[in-house]
This record gives sequence, C-alpha cells and structure tokens, in this order.
Amino acid sequence: MKVVVPVKQVALLDDEFELLDDGSGVDPDSLEWDLNEWDSFSLEAAVQIKEAAGEGEVLAVTVGDEEAEEGLLSALAKGADRGIRVWDEDLADAGPLAVARVLAAAIEPESPDLVLCGVQSSDAVNSATGIALAGYLDLAHVAVVKSIELNSGSATVERELEGGLVEILRIGLPALLTIQTGINEPRYATLRAIKQARDKPLAVMTLSDLGLGADAVEAADGSHRRRLAHPEKGEGAEMLNGSTAEVAARIAEIVRERVG
Amino acid sequence: MAGILVIAEARRGELREVSFELIGAALSLKAQAGGPVAVAIVDPEAEKHAPALGSDGVDEVLTVTSPPPGFEAHVAQRALEALISEADPDVVIAAHSIDALGFIPAVAAAGGFGFASDVTALGWDGGPIATRGAYGDKLVAEYDFPGKATTLLLLRVGIFAPAQPGSGSVVARAVTVDGLDGAARSEHLDYREVQEGDVDITKSEFLLSIGRGVEDKDNIERFEELAEKLGATLSVSRPLVDAGWMPSSRQVGQSGKTVKPRVYLAMGISGAVQHLAGMRGADTIIAVNTDPEAPIFTVAHYGAVQDMFELADALEQSLS
Amino acid sequence: MARDPKYDILFEPIQIGPKTLKNRFYQVPHCIGAGSEKPGMQAYHRGMKAEGGWGACCTEYCSIHPESDDTSRVSARIWDEGDVRNLAAMTDRLHQFGALAGIELWYGGPHAPCMESRATPRGPSQIASDFELNIFPRYMDKDDINEVQQMYVDAAIRARDAGFDIVYVYGAHAYLPFQFLSPFYNRRTDEYGGSFENRARFWRESLEKVREAVGDDCAIASRFAVDHLLGPTSIQVGEDGVRFVEYCDDLVDLWDLTVGDIAEWGQNAGPSRFFEENHEKPFTGQVKAGNHTNKPVVGVGRVTNPDTMVAIIKSGQFDIIGAARPSISDPFLPKKIEEGRLDDIRECIGCNQCISRWEIGGPPMVCTQNATAGEEYRRGWHPEKFHPAANREKSVLVIGAGPAGMECAMVLGKREMAAVHLVEADAEIGGSVNWISQLGHSDGKENLFRGTARGLGEWKRIVNYRQIQLDKLRNVEVHLKSRLSAQEVLEYGAEIVIVATGCHYATDGMNAATHAPIDGADTSLDWQFTPDQVVSGAKPVGKRVLILENEAYFMGVSIAQKLAGEGHEVTFVTQAGEIADYMHYTLEAPMLHRDLDRLGVDIHTYTMLEKIEPGVCHAYDVWNPAHKERFEVDSVVLCTARISNDELYRELKADQARLESEGIEQLFVIGDAAAPRMIVDSIFDGHRLAREIDSPNPAMPLPFIRERRLWGDASNEDYKAQLLNTPDVVVA
Repeated sequence: MKVVVPVKQVALLDDEFELLDDGSGVDPDSLEWDLNEWDSFSLEAAVQIKEAAGEGEVLAVTVGDEEAEEGLLSALAKGADRGIRVWDEDLADAGPLAVARVLAAAIEPESPDLVLCGVQSSDAVNSATGIALAGYLDLAHVAVVKSIELNSGSATVERELEGGLVEILRIGLPALLTIQTGINEPRYATLRAIKQARDKPLAVMTLSDLGLGADAVEAADGSHRRRLAHPEKGEGAEMLNGSTAEVAARIAEIVRERVG
Repeated sequence: MAGILVIAEARRGELREVSFELIGAALSLKAQAGGPVAVAIVDPEAEKHAPALGSDGVDEVLTVTSPPPGFEAHVAQRALEALISEADPDVVIAAHSIDALGFIPAVAAAGGFGFASDVTALGWDGGPIATRGAYGDKLVAEYDFPGKATTLLLLRVGIFAPAQPGSGSVVARAVTVDGLDGAARSEHLDYREVQEGDVDITKSEFLLSIGRGVEDKDNIERFEELAEKLGATLSVSRPLVDAGWMPSSRQVGQSGKTVKPRVYLAMGISGAVQHLAGMRGADTIIAVNTDPEAPIFTVAHYGAVQDMFELADALEQSLS
Repeated sequence: MARDPKYDILFEPIQIGPKTLKNRFYQVPHCIGAGSEKPGMQAYHRGMKAEGGWGACCTEYCSIHPESDDTSRVSARIWDEGDVRNLAAMTDRLHQFGALAGIELWYGGPHAPCMESRATPRGPSQIASDFELNIFPRYMDKDDINEVQQMYVDAAIRARDAGFDIVYVYGAHAYLPFQFLSPFYNRRTDEYGGSFENRARFWRESLEKVREAVGDDCAIASRFAVDHLLGPTSIQVGEDGVRFVEYCDDLVDLWDLTVGDIAEWGQNAGPSRFFEENHEKPFTGQVKAGNHTNKPVVGVGRVTNPDTMVAIIKSGQFDIIGAARPSISDPFLPKKIEEGRLDDIRECIGCNQCISRWEIGGPPMVCTQNATAGEEYRRGWHPEKFHPAANREKSVLVIGAGPAGMECAMVLGKREMAAVHLVEADAEIGGSVNWISQLGHSDGKENLFRGTARGLGEWKRIVNYRQIQLDKLRNVEVHLKSRLSAQEVLEYGAEIVIVATGCHYATDGMNAATHAPIDGADTSLDWQFTPDQVVSGAKPVGKRVLILENEAYFMGVSIAQKLAGEGHEVTFVTQAGEIADYMHYTLEAPMLHRDLDRLGVDIHTYTMLEKIEPGVCHAYDVWNPAHKERFEVDSVVLCTARISNDELYRELKADQARLESEGIEQLFVIGDAAAPRMIVDSIFDGHRLAREIDSPNPAMPLPFIRERRLWGDASNEDYKAQLLNTPDVVVA
C-alpha cells in the first residue's frame, strides 16, 4: 500500500508585516513558517492506512525551498517513511496549477495507490492544488473528504457538503482524495521521532531532475499575480440607523444574504 | 470577447442559490467587457432548472443532462471540457463551492487554462482580472491571465449580487456530450445529515455572540432561543466564561477560539482586543452595542447602536 | 510594535503639586513584606515596576514612630537615619527608571499592637481596636495630639531627605486620621470631636503641618476611605465623605481614594470571587462625578483591562489609574500597553495570595501569576528577562500541563531550551485550575452585603496567560490527550524529564488531624464524593449532604457554596476552630461567611468524623471525643487531604539503568506531584526549576539572599555573595 502525501510549508504573516515597496510581495522577515494544518490530517490518514495494512509506505512530497525542509522533516517525524522536496528558482512564484504540475512529475514514477492532499493551504487558500494534481495524474478523485474506509481496490469516502450534509460515495483505487480537517486526531512526534526523522531518506530534486522545463511549468501556471496590497480600510462599520424594527429587518436581510 | 460561460449548480433536484450570484457576476462582467453570457447546468434534471437560469441579460442557457443521481466530479469535468471546447469562452465562472472545487481545478490542469479561486471581485483589462485574498485575507491580490485563451474562475459565495431568476424567455439548448454516461469514476451511495455533537463554534457558519451586555446569567437563555431561531450557534466573549455562566468551549477570543464564520453577529460585546483577535476574520461582522464608541465597531462591517434585548425581540419578529 | 492610539490618554503626564507624573499608571501603597528592614527587596520589587513603566511607586504603610508598630505584620518604618538610608535605596532605584517615589506615612493607633517596640499607641477615644484583639489606645489630650502631629512632620522631613516625591498623610483603612474623622471611633467632646469640622480637625491640621514642612518639595497626598461601609455610624461617601474631600482639597495635591477599613479590608482589596473589576466605583467614583475636588484623583479596583482604564479616565471617574495587585501580577503592564503587546499582559486573578502573606505576618510576598514577585532581589529574577540556559542544547519533556507544568515549560521555553514538549493527558491545558475555576458560585443572589459570589472564573487567567505564551514559543510544543506511560516517557527522546502530574483527593478520609483514614469512607461509592467528583457531576449528589473539610482553604467551603446554592441541605464539618482558616488571610472569609450563613449551611467546627455509614455520619467534639453527634445525610463529600500522583515519577526513578540507556540525564518532579500545595506554590516550583535548570543540582534550590544583620561591618556585596552564581540572575 503506497500512499503519497503532498505537503506544504505555509507562511504565516506576523501581526506587523511589511509589504515590499514595489508591491510584489511580502517582506520575508515578516513570515513565520509551519506545516499546513490540513496536511497533518492527510498525513495522519496516510499513516493510519499504512498501519492498518500492516505494510506499505508513506511518501511525503513538497514543492518548496529550504524552509519547506522543516515541514517535510515534521512529516517524516510523524510517520512518513520517505520524503521528496522539489525546488527550483523558477518555482518562486508558482501558483497552484504549476505546483500541481511539478508534484505530478515527482509523483507519477511512484505509482501510488492513494494520494492524500489537504483540502487547502492556510496561506494561499486556493483549494485547487489537490484536484489539479489529480487532473495531471489522471487519477479518480474526490474533494473535501471527511472519512475514508478502505476496501480492497476501492475506498468508501464521505464528502463534506455545505449546510451540514454529507455524501457517501465509493471510488476505485488508485485515487486522489483531498482531506478535510477533523477527519482524525493527528498524532504528534516525540522528540525521538523528531531526531530520527533526520535519518529517513529525503531526496531534494530540481526541475531538471524531474525532466521538466521551466517553460512547461510556466505554461501550466494558471495565473499571474500583478498586484499585492493592503485591503482597503473601510470607514469602519456601515451603521444601520432607524427604529429597532427597521434595524432588525436589515440585519435579518444581511444574514439571509450571507448565510443563505 | 468570445464569451462568458457560467456553470450553475444544482443539488438533490434543486438549483443552488449561488447560481444566481454567478449569473449576476457574469452580467456585471459583460457590462464591462462585452461578450455573450451563456449559463450551463449539468444535472440529471437540467432541463427543469433551465428556465430560471435565463435571467435578464443572459444570452443562452445550455443544459447537459447527466446520469442520475446527481453531481459526479468526473462527469462534470467531461461536460465542462465539452462545453469549453464548443463555446471557447474567455471566462468560465463557477462558484468556490464544494462541487466546483471537486472538478474545476482538474479541468484547468488538463486543459492548460487560466485559473483563480475564491475570487472576490472581477474586472476586465483586455482579459479578466481577478481579485482575491492573500495570506488568508490579510492582504489583497490581483491576478491576470496572460496567454490564456480561457480562464476558469471560482467566485466566493455570498459576495456577488445575485441576478433575478429568469422567467423562461431564454430558450434553453440541450448539449450532448460524448461519453458522458461512462465518465463517472465514483459511485454515489447515499446522503446523510450530520449529527450535532459537542458544540464546536469554529465549525459554525453563523455565530450569535453575546458579551457583558447580557448582564445576568439568567438572560443567556433568551439569546440561546434567538440563536436557535436564527439558525446560529451561540458563542460568548470572555467575561461570561470568567463569571462561570458559559463553558470555555463557547468562548471566542485570544484565549478561547478563533472563528471565521460567514456571519458573526455580536451583541453586547464591546470588543476588547483579545476578543477581536478571535473573530476579526469573519466574513461579515455585525455588531450591536449601546455604546457608539465600542471598539467592536472598528472591525465590524455593519453596526447598530441598539439595546441588545430590544433588538433580539425585533429580530425574532422579523424572522416570523 | 506600536501603541494603539486609543491608549494614548494613559500616557499623558499629569501634575501632582510640584511633581509631574509621567503617565497615569500609579502603584498605590501596598504591602510586600519588605519594609525598611529588607531594603534590597523593597528597592528591587518597587524598581521592577518602575522599569515596567509605572509612573509612581509607593512604599507600603510606613510607620512614623515606634508607637505605630504592627509586628509581626511588616510595615515600612521611617523612624531614624538608618531607615532613611534604607528607603533611599528604593527612591534611587525608582528615580533611575523615571518614576516618582511615594511614602505612606502611617500611625495606626490601637490597630497596631506594638509587639516589638512595646510602646503604647494613642487614639482619639479609648475604644479597643476592632481589628486587633484587646489593644486599647491611650486617650490623646491636646499635648498628645501635638506630639503625634509632630511625628508626622518629622517623618515627612525624613521622607523628603530619603528622596520621596509624594508624601502621604494616610487616613484610609481606619488608621489614625480616619479614627478622628469617624464617629465610630471618635467619642470626644472637645474641639477634636463631635461636629464634622471638629472631627476633621486632626487630619486637616496634620496636612497643614506636613505641607508646611515639605510641601514645596514634595507632593502631599492623602489616602482616604470615602465610605466606611458601616452606614450612618461612620463615614458615608454621600455625607462626610465628599464633604471631607472638599474641606481639605486645598491642602492636598493628590487624593488616593478607597473604601472600608482595616477590620474588613477585603471590601477594598476585593478578592475576585466576590468583587469585579472597578468595584469601588459606586463610592470612590462619586468624588469627581459630584465635582467635589479640583485635585487629581487616583483610585483602585483591581483594574487589569486597558480598555477599562481608558474608560475610567475618559468618563472622569479618576484621573490616575491606581493599582496594587495588578502591578504585582505584571510590573510591566504599562510597557506592554505602550508596546502594543496586550496579549502578554499577565492579569491579576484576585486570589489575594499576596495579601495573605502580609496578613500572616512576616513572610515575603508571593503572587500566583507572577512567580518572580518578591524574588527580584533575593533571587535576582526578572519577570520579563530570561537568560539562555547553559544547557540549552538539551530537550525537555514536561509531563502534565497544570500550573507547575505550564509554568516550567514556559520558562524553559523562554530560556531557549532546544525543544520543550509539554504533554497533557486532558483535552486542554490547565490541570486542576480548569475545574477549580468553575467553583465559587452559590445561588447567584445578592449577598447580604455588597455583591454576590461571582466565582473563581478569573483564576482561569492562570491558564489563559500561559496558553498565549506557550503558543508564542517556537521551541515549545504542547500535546494534548496524551497520557504517557513510563515506557513512552523512556522512549520519548528527551534528555530532561520533568514530572508534573498533579495530585488527587484522598478517597478514604485520610487527613492531617488523625493521620488515618475514616472508617467507612470510600469515594468510589455512589453516595460519597471527592470535590472534583462533585464538580464533574458524574454522580448525583443527594439532597442532604455533609462536607468534611480538613484542609483549611477554599475547597470545602466552595463545594458548600455550590451545593447549597443548588438547593441541597448542607452540613459543613471541620476539625478546626474556623472554616477555611486561610481565607481569613486572603480576606475572602467575611463575604464567605455571609454567603454560607445566608444559604443556611449548618456549620460545625471543632468536629471530626469517626465513622461514615450509608445515611449517617458519626462525629465527635475534638475537645471532648466522648461527646458524639450524628448527622443524617444522603451524601458525603470528603475534602480531607490530597495525595501526589507520583507513581509515574517513582516508576521512572526506580530504574536508573534504563533511564541511562535511554539517554535521560535528569529526572525531576514538581508541583502537586511532589507535594500537594497551593497553586501559587506549584507555579513557583515549576518556575524555580526552570530558572535553575542549568545549575549543578537543579532539584536543590540555590541559596537566596537573606537580608539579615551580618555581625561586624557588612556591605551590600556581603549580602549579594549569598546568591550563588546562576546564569539567570539579573541583580544589577
């Protein structure tokens, strides 16, 4: 049973962050890094699957620079057996489709039974990389999974829909699932596991190692960020005036609009 | 401008409300950029949904009848690919919804299209411009899609003004997609409603949050009732937990939980810094307080200087 | 980070007589157990607040003469040149940090028993103190009055020489000037008694004389209890209270307002279980609200929230935010507001442990939230500065995230240990604080006197603060829902293991009085309970319940309040002569008594149980065991003793060979797991170990400076030498 878990080291902005003068990005000193919250759930799901099968391998893969090494080591400490980090200067501004393209190149040779991605990352929140990856790998896929039950050759999963509804479906393996938080109780790594993670195989690859050209990656990238700015400060709240009844009616309307 | 294609959504035989927000957004974009707007619905009962999708300004409604019982990601992908192939639109507009997220990124990948998700504003500058948040909405980013003949955009739900449903004046055209019936790679087994377990206020889309203004432990019940009527989950600020009136699992704030609901309706909460830290990421913040200087008004989107008890009564009135 | 402009008002200077107070943060006089005879402790404790941004720091009550001697309670003294020299250490240090120094000149009258000086205190009328047992004052005739007023003057001059900027004539807490003003104490028929002006005369004259002596150089302050809370028999704010302020307004540069007296000064230093933030407002707030003064006013109310502080000043309630306990809990509160680090503020929980040590008479102050309070000089601890540990390449496993574990992990994190893992069996950190903080409520009704039982919810701030700090520490990981076995601890991979697994209540009635279990006691039965079982609600408590309490602090009585508040018929039994003895020291006892009385709790002191049977408890009179009593009850709650949860520690310790082979170099046990104690002491225990984790033998506390007289000529260095070199000492 080989399960591949793409992971991402996400950037958390300091409370007092600085934008670069040309608006092209955030001052790197403003950033703190951590493993994406969703990925600890997908990783835990993968490790549980491997433990239940009694055999197999969990491979953690990431696209990122040296900062991302920490996230990969964290995944290795929590039970992944092997890690791959892909990085190239040309990947510095890669959007979700480009990242998915690169991940696909790294993962394809592994022929996994299952690829488990987090539904989204907490910094970019594209919620797209996982399913895009499925597209590149041409894998059957389900997004926003909150429970997995493996059968032989297939999986019964629950898909979390809006409004507290859940859809139960079956999908054949190999497949890619994007995993929602709360699906399990992610284990933590003991100090020993953290130390031992450094001894697990961790390959660092470039685009050329994967046989990918920078232009292929660029072509895959679905968007180009042309501006980054602070949100416009509203003038504070829009005050609702009038009688209590009028205000209440307006609030009820807003609620209806926003919640449905 | 070759055209805008809107991907409407249906579930369990009903059109989803977000479809009209998408149409509204498409019509606004049409006003800026020109080009015909086609609205497509892929659903076993597509033809039944079609009339409503013909809002004023929509040029074409396309129906793709998919195999029952409902949405399937790979079927949806095949259908969309066929629709794009046929119409070659500049922009495809769908919702940033569970269904759309389940297939549209794969379409973008496979087709080499432009793509952006959780879009909060749309523009046009020779091509589509999409605005979305960055670093979890702490910043705002603008994207363009140079070199992309078709761009797929997933719009944030609850942001764009919805169009009025059509009255059937736009005649729908059925589109046949080759191999659609065999495209499914997953099998629907069932639906189920989720049980209410332990209250987890971080999972609620709508929080009614009360603070010191409630004054007395005995008054909390009144707001529990209101929450229920509103379909909201009740949360509190710290003073109520300090006083032992509510458990800390309900507490929003720095030392409690950080929440990001669609709507955060705060009543009788002044907005201490530690509280604001826990809820300022909510999509829509409505604050009610008798003190016009209350700090919570600095982060709220809507504010009302009202007595929370009177307003609670009035809210219940307007709901009934 | 920057200061939020809405707090700018707190940093506006204000003129107090000839002095400028640089901001609105004012540490009002409060006791710390230092006085003039521990000048290092005095200077460094007050100095820490000045360093933390407080605009003024005051001494505790400062005796002006040996006739005002509160031994064994520790006051400051300014009797002679030696005291001047010692207190100058404090003023120097405050001035270094740009703060004003205040001295609260005090003459106690019969409230001060003079057990060291053996002098005879004087008073306006010969009525024994309502605070101290059986101490009578000598009646003051006119010569006595002049003599005592001269004591104030002489003391004020010495105070100025010592470098003080603000000199108080202290008439709050029912000390001498107030004793003249209040008809409760003053039964005189001469020109110092009777009418308002007569009763105010002593105080007014004292202010005049002190002002004349030092008023050009020093700001003259007066601390005044605007309402004695005894109704018409004494000073009421709406009557003589505001009248007195108006009457002496021209003589005062600063009013420091309080309520109450010394006999029940918990009405002023209100514990959080009965009093909310800014609780004195209805009284002290009337002075400015009614335009009774043209002078700046400072007042208190255990205010910890910066937004409340802003509201207090903006609304005109006070001009200056006074604080005692909030400044003990966080000497750096002003700096943190200035720097926009509000989430770093360590809020006072209103437990009054600090006060309890003064009440006991002798011990240095402590603070539940701030383990460095009282240790600034004698251990060189700074609440905000931590030296990197010499052995910081080591990784640490802390087992148990209760008060001791949280504190230890936090300080180890701040001392830059390579990795600290804090592992907790429960779903949240906090340990026993999580369930203890749910206690303290009764029936929610108004007490017989000013307030309700609000509960111990503010004690949860112990957890709130540490939660936030632990989250910020990159080298600390907190893992929940994980109960580690000895095997898992051994394999964890830490070089240092610290066991902080807390304690549990005895299930068999084991207690400190008889040193034996009680026949029939067994809390596994469904009608017998330990206190935590009552709070968890796992088994229902019967209608008639007996609580046996042998611990002398809050647990038994809090359970009584809870159950009586919920409608049970509660019988409270304790072998002691007093219920919850320690709560006298925390000033919680009077309100507690009122609550329990009102709730109809049936209290039996000097009573012990000898046997428990279904439906009946057999008790006896401890002074005459043959005198028996039967209590017919449905349930029994045993708050008799706590026992360390030290099995894990013992198991680990027993296998030295295994510890070695797994690379565990050091094993420690802290907090209740070592020995059950009060929360303040558990936090201290965890803090100390972390501060000394890099000493040669961390389990053994390093020596601290004892400020005692060394025979022969001794210098400050001789005292400092007592402090062995540890890397984490900041004695500047």
